[in-house]
Amino acid sequence: MRAFELFRARDSRHAVELLARHGPGARLLAGGTDLLVELKAAARAPQVVIDISSVADLKQIALGDRGLRIGALATHAEIERSPVVRKMAPVLVEAVHSIGAVQTRNLGTLGGNLVSGLPSMDSGPALMALDASVILAGPRGERRLALAEFFIAPRRTALAADELLTAIVVPMASFGKPAAFLKLGLRKGQALALVNVAASTWLDAGAFKQPAIALGAVAPTVIRAPLAERYLDGRDATMESFAEAGRIAAGEAAPISDFRASAQYRREMIAVLTRRALERCLSSH
Amino acid sequence: MPELALTVNGARRAVTVPAEMTLLALLREVLGLTGAKLGCDAGDCGACTVLVDGQAVNACLMLAMQAAGREVLTIEGLAHPLQRAFEKHAALQCGFCGPGVILSAKALLDANNAPTTLEIREALAGNLCRCTGYSKIVEAVQEVARDSPRGRT
Repeated sequence: MRAFELFRARDSRHAVELLARHGPGARLLAGGTDLLVELKAAARAPQVVIDISSVADLKQIALGDRGLRIGALATHAEIERSPVVRKMAPVLVEAVHSIGAVQTRNLGTLGGNLVSGLPSMDSGPALMALDASVILAGPRGERRLALAEFFIAPRRTALAADELLTAIVVPMASFGKPAAFLKLGLRKGQALALVNVAASTWLDAGAFKQPAIALGAVAPTVIRAPLAERYLDGRDATMESFAEAGRIAAGEAAPISDFRASAQYRREMIAVLTRRALERCLSSH
Repeated sequence: MPELALTVNGARRAVTVPAEMTLLALLREVLGLTGAKLGCDAGDCGACTVLVDGQAVNACLMLAMQAAGREVLTIEGLAHPLQRAFEKHAALQCGFCGPGVILSAKALLDANNAPTTLEIREALAGNLCRCTGYSKIVEAVQEVARDSPRGRT
């Protein structure tokens, strides 16, 4: 890697100050699982890297009155082990468990996964199916965005150059909501998703209530499938309804063909994974 | 150049390294600990796996400066039944993956001293081996788990 100046942030306030001082070219180092790979391949180095990896106040996982607040610097391994996440948002545990391997999960952070803006990220669909939002902090203060507003385009989020993603909040209304996450990759470990799907739904007298379906790796960003959700809402939960929801969701995506898979194959797999995710929600109810 | 103090294999070390040096380069080039290998340099192969504060990480994905004040364990610092079991079961061929695999296995056994075969394979999913097909590696880990004193962490 080419040389750069390294500054270590003491806390999140200091991190925001360092970002403001060193300008839009400064890069933030959290888990390093994306940044270091990028820096090794880059033609030009950033002048400044701001190391936030040991900022303790960004690592907290806690229940608050708004919901479950997960610090952006919580690693995927810490989330997997967290008793409160396992209890309140187990679908997120399923999703982060599918990321990389043990070594990458010990370093990689939830915030890092989200700011990558990669449509194939694994945490995004699970969080979107839980109606999670993100907290961004900058010199102008804090703001909260729903995930759907946060993701803009491939590798582009609403995070401004002088902002820091500080926390992810899962609302209380999603606690205990049956949910499932499924990922299809070319292998079981260290796999990039060809398609990943998260679904969540309440059941009311055998009918879907507030169903949510989120799709990853099949559109420019992680997306919801509102037509499939509208089809399910209030409808009796039957085998045919799962399958039809899968077919509708497949039509709402815009997968691409690449060396890993064709668009047509991904579309068919959206239907399969959506159906299976909904079945899992029902069986865990 | 920034100064760095850390513990490596139980010994306190103080070095001066460029900010952009990875932990892997620090171990291999500054400290002469060449057990951790440079494979893919991108966190995919696991040949660079070391334990930092007991957790298996890719040393190629950490800056050396991020290890400040922390404890690093490399294969050179290990005297563990796993090493004898790997010999007994012929679990290595070329040996390149070995240090990383053994450290990942140690981290597994420290957290879970009775892993299932699936748990062993999942724990080692980040360590690629091109020679062996993994079966003897898994057998060696299973033997150590079986023979470990009950209740040991």
